[in-house]
Amino acid sequence: MSLEQFKNRNVGTQNYVKLDLDHSPTTGWCQFKQVVKRTFKPELFVGLGVTFREMVNALFRGKMHTTQYPFEKLPISPRYRAIHDMLRLLESGNYRCIGCGLCEKICISDCISMETKYDENQRKEVSEYTINFGRCIFCGYCAEVCPELAIVHGGRYENASEQRASFSLFEDMLTPIDQLNLQQEYAGFGAISPNADENVKSTPLAY
Amino acid sequence: MSEVQIVENMVDITIDGVVCKAKEGEYVLNAARANDIFIPAICYLTRCSPTLACRICLVEVDGKQVYACNSKVKEGMNITVDTPDILAERRAMMEVYDVNHPLQCGVCDQSGECELQNYTLELQVDSQSYSIPDTKRETTNWSSVLHYDPGLCIVCERCTTICKDMIGDAAITTAKRGGEALDKSWKDNMPKDAYAMWNKLQKSVIAPSNGTGSTDCSDCGECISVCPVGALVSRDFVYTSNAWDLKRIPAVSAHSSDGFAIYYETKPAAIEDRREKIFRVTNEWNFVSLDGAARFGYDFENQDVSKDETAFKAAVEAMNKAETIRFNSVITNEEALMLQTLKEKKGLKLYNPEVRPFQNFLKLYNEASGASLYNGTTDTALKCNFVVSVGGALRNDSPGMKYAFNNIQKMNKGAGLYFHPVADKLIPTFGKTVETFTHKAGLEEATLYLLLELFADADKLPSDVKDYLAELGRDNLINMLGGDADAFNKNFEKMMKKKDSFVLMVGEDYYGHAKAENLAKLIVLLEETAGFQVVMNPPKANALGVALICDLDDEATGYTVGYNENGDFRLSALGDAKGDSNVLDMPAMNQQEGTFTTLSKRVVPTNVALEYNGYVLNDLMAELMDAPRETIEWTPHLPTDKGYQAMAFDDMLNTFDNAGRDNRGYLLNVTYDEVELPKVDKFDEADGLDGDIVYRCNPPRQFSDFSDKAHQIFEPFGLYASEDRAKELGEKAEILFKNGKITVDVIVDAKMEGDIVALSDFKSAQNVYELFGASRYQKVTIRKA
Amino acid sequence: MVSTIFLTATALPEVIWIGVIIKAVLILAVIAAIAGFGTYIERKILAFMQRRLGPQHVGPFGLLQLAADGIKLFTKEDIIPQHANKFIFSIAPVITAATAFIALAAVPVFPDFTIPFTDILVPSIASDINVGILFVLGMMAAGLYGPLLAGMSQGNKWGIIGSARTAIQFLSYEVVTGLSVLAPIMMVGSLSFVDFNDYQTDGLWLVVYQPIAFVLFLIAGFAETNRTPFDLLEHEAEIISGYVTEYSGMRWGLFFIGEYANMITIGVIASIVFLGGYNDFLFIPGWIMIIGKIAFSFFFMLWVRAAWPHVRPDQLMWLCWKVLMPLAVINVLITGLVIMI
Repeated sequence: MSLEQFKNRNVGTQNYVKLDLDHSPTTGWCQFKQVVKRTFKPELFVGLGVTFREMVNALFRGKMHTTQYPFEKLPISPRYRAIHDMLRLLESGNYRCIGCGLCEKICISDCISMETKYDENQRKEVSEYTINFGRCIFCGYCAEVCPELAIVHGGRYENASEQRASFSLFEDMLTPIDQLNLQQEYAGFGAISPNADENVKSTPLAY
Repeated sequence: MSEVQIVENMVDITIDGVVCKAKEGEYVLNAARANDIFIPAICYLTRCSPTLACRICLVEVDGKQVYACNSKVKEGMNITVDTPDILAERRAMMEVYDVNHPLQCGVCDQSGECELQNYTLELQVDSQSYSIPDTKRETTNWSSVLHYDPGLCIVCERCTTICKDMIGDAAITTAKRGGEALDKSWKDNMPKDAYAMWNKLQKSVIAPSNGTGSTDCSDCGECISVCPVGALVSRDFVYTSNAWDLKRIPAVSAHSSDGFAIYYETKPAAIEDRREKIFRVTNEWNFVSLDGAARFGYDFENQDVSKDETAFKAAVEAMNKAETIRFNSVITNEEALMLQTLKEKKGLKLYNPEVRPFQNFLKLYNEASGASLYNGTTDTALKCNFVVSVGGALRNDSPGMKYAFNNIQKMNKGAGLYFHPVADKLIPTFGKTVETFTHKAGLEEATLYLLLELFADADKLPSDVKDYLAELGRDNLINMLGGDADAFNKNFEKMMKKKDSFVLMVGEDYYGHAKAENLAKLIVLLEETAGFQVVMNPPKANALGVALICDLDDEATGYTVGYNENGDFRLSALGDAKGDSNVLDMPAMNQQEGTFTTLSKRVVPTNVALEYNGYVLNDLMAELMDAPRETIEWTPHLPTDKGYQAMAFDDMLNTFDNAGRDNRGYLLNVTYDEVELPKVDKFDEADGLDGDIVYRCNPPRQFSDFSDKAHQIFEPFGLYASEDRAKELGEKAEILFKNGKITVDVIVDAKMEGDIVALSDFKSAQNVYELFGASRYQKVTIRKA
Repeated sequence: MVSTIFLTATALPEVIWIGVIIKAVLILAVIAAIAGFGTYIERKILAFMQRRLGPQHVGPFGLLQLAADGIKLFTKEDIIPQHANKFIFSIAPVITAATAFIALAAVPVFPDFTIPFTDILVPSIASDINVGILFVLGMMAAGLYGPLLAGMSQGNKWGIIGSARTAIQFLSYEVVTGLSVLAPIMMVGSLSFVDFNDYQTDGLWLVVYQPIAFVLFLIAGFAETNRTPFDLLEHEAEIISGYVTEYSGMRWGLFFIGEYANMITIGVIASIVFLGGYNDFLFIPGWIMIIGKIAFSFFFMLWVRAAWPHVRPDQLMWLCWKVLMPLAVINVLITGLVIMI
């Protein structure tokens, strides 16, 4: 894209698109005709009709718009970036996080920190994991960089709390083990692209 | 005596069209690196022999494919790093390395500094052509510090190479993997070198060389350091941090006198505890090899210190009251200069039983030789091909010298002689041309006379010495020192073949010796008549710096302030000040900046790795007299008449260059005056000690209270004895000295031989120096306790 | 019939003072309550028309929202700006509220009744003065002094603009209101509301004879009560809050009560003058009819607010002087001619 149009600073010479408006009446006769036309056009009554119809719709046809927010919540877009969720593996129920530390590294507000250790199963275990929600800007880089689809953005957008630190604890972010079957894959930043399989080069296996 | 001259012939070679200067006889790979040209290589270690395990350093020399790591440069050589054939080979090799290599880089400790990752990307390996069934390989712990994951191992053999060629322990080796054999069809279908490399790789894995599951070594951790992948990691570090989270702080090891260049790698300790913590120590492993204390003895910091004003006032009062300051060698040059200033301005005595004999010996040496300091360094020693070690327990006292002794055998086709009253099982394994003498303690003069007999140019020797040697007789001397004359003479002839450079390593035994003056003169005689260069091992840490800067006294009198030592008032970095009104906190070596003087006569800077909020010695100085604001402002004032330069701390470099030159700080100036050959005395064979003898010597990896404080140094305080001797002594022994006694645990050191037992001295609270006096050997009565 | 314009002695029932006081208290209490309740109704109706729910959480169906608002208004700090004319600033809301209720004195609200077991007759009208309709219209016009003085006294630019708009609205619509009711007055021949009511007892509603007058009266009524589309005095999008910019707490609440009382008054006048008053209709008793009619006109005002945009001040005056006033005059002329013939 060229920057020509932005460099022309002579206001008025740009190619503005003009709306196709009616012409204003010029003569007295035309003005009179316009007045008469407007006077006898039932526009005002149409307006009254519309509002009355909507009232009837709302009251008797179940078309009330209001969502009683704290009691009712609308489903949120899967791409919305709210408080993080830590997902579990569906098969074993273990959490997916492998403690690679990429989220910690990529975090531009430096709000993620973690502690890892060598556990009794000779695996890397995440012993502590925190996100400082007082600093988090919900940019989604952590979800994008996560190689295991372990940290994702969830839909929990109510961040009121007595302390910022208690917006969310690791245990709160983790899918509850009894709700594992309800765990949703995240469709936003960092999710596998629909054509991911096409982009994978297969590696020969000798088994 | 004169400076060590190293003559190197330079040749011109052409690498990728660039004309470079290279040392004659150097490997092409090193020559390229010295000229900042990159040749990929995984298995090669600069100061070790080429292993040809990876074969990636393949280059074309004058139209022929050779390995850059094992072909030597010749005048006019024309080298091409990349040709299409070579690139295809290299790519195939990287593909082979990636076969069955676990893809869990996310959890790997090496991720981010992994050479396999780097070269896979460098050679743009984006697909895999090869495959073979994998073999189950179990993770094991080799020792209290070593953790090996064979699944990640690419069998580059760097660990085994460094362990053999540099460290000398040869504790690990390649072993059979038991993997499936390669399909023969690959042989025709893939590049030749890649196939050969794969063939070998598929068969091997690394294992302790003693056949058991655990290594029998000094736990130096150098194998961890050189491992290009995450296969070898310290047990303490496994899965605790990613490489990229760690901040590297260039520093100097505070334990042995080698002054190893290290990096403290720090990051916040935990989520709850945001104070910086040292997670590991790394090093430039191509150019410097660390000992276990330098690598694992890092967490000796004095934590949670704040400015305790009452203690500070008490300290000022104590300093005003004091007659003596007692300290040790774990101290920077700047602090030593402060103490010396106190001595000069306030007439305090400086008492340092660790360094005093060394200082004395340096003075005796100086008087006899006219040189202000010994002429060798570890770097120049590494270029020699005949090495003699006298008066030091090489394995325990000075890891750097042990590495040099070993490296000379392996790399320079060298030979070595080791004289020591305590027999060591490890030294003879360094090479076939290593002879060890286990002589009686007290016969150190005899060893030097034997060396004169063996090496001295008879024309240069004074006639009385010549006569005395003739009187003694070579075979008689050899037998007197515990050798077998016939066998030795035969072997010695072989040892001397093609030898042109000689180095004498002098250990701590000599410094406090009753005949130290004569020993110093004999050493000078040996230098002058046999062309030896001499390296002396300062007892510990910054002993050389203390010896040069401070004017030490022989004894402590009156009210004593101890700096990390016993005293009526104590300045302590050991963290034992809490709540004690007679102790003021001081920063430990990883919490302060300053300079060290190393064994190699180099003044090297060390930096602050961990926070310290308390008072430092400089604050005390400022209270007592006019002192600069910062400790490092003392650096340019180090005594120039002792060889120091007026260089500011911030002007000092702290790096190695690509050719491996040590550019840290600066070298001390050594002056050489012409003096006459010293008059040496005869020795008395009756000086040899008999009976129960205790040797003041620490186990490897232990040097001071600070190394003891580190959680990965496990060697306890005690009486170390050979297996047989330990059996006799039982679990605990009481040692009766002339002026006191001590009851300690008996600990087996499987590498020791003979009846002499070694008593540790690293715990200042045990006051072992008082028991021994100047000499390291004492005749005592040992009882079971 | 022209002569009937002149005052005629009407046979009034025996009214004692206590009955009048009871009536006055009744009107005050009921209308004030209804005015407050009107806010609830308004919010509810507007919400429904926009398919929302409206107030819902205070009490059943949000009915106690009124109480919550009242408590809020009573407890809010009463702020008088530093450079305001304090006296006028203080009384201006009282003028609005007071005139609104005074106007109701001459309006028949319920049929006469006698308090059981006493002789006390509570009249349908607190004071059936024979110039009833003039009095009511006059009082309502006087009520516009409230906004006018409020806007000018508060020392605020938006307030000044608000009072300027009050002035033009005042000037424009009094004329139309007067002219539009003149025709029915001519037909009935009396200024008393009772007479209007009685006039329609047997015949058709006056709206049938005077449709134009009815429409004009409604339009003028919207203007007089500051309702959309003529809520220029305090139009939030343009002049913050106009004449009430600096008001808070109960003083602001008085303006509000006044506005709602006026809406009811307009509803009452429209019902009595044009829509048959409190006469029985078929089987439906008259008091239900009048409540129904007032309620409808109130609802209609809310309905209009939900549906229509407001006009600019210039459009307001253009509409008044160039369209409505000529129409009103013509209507009066035609009515006169018809009566004469």
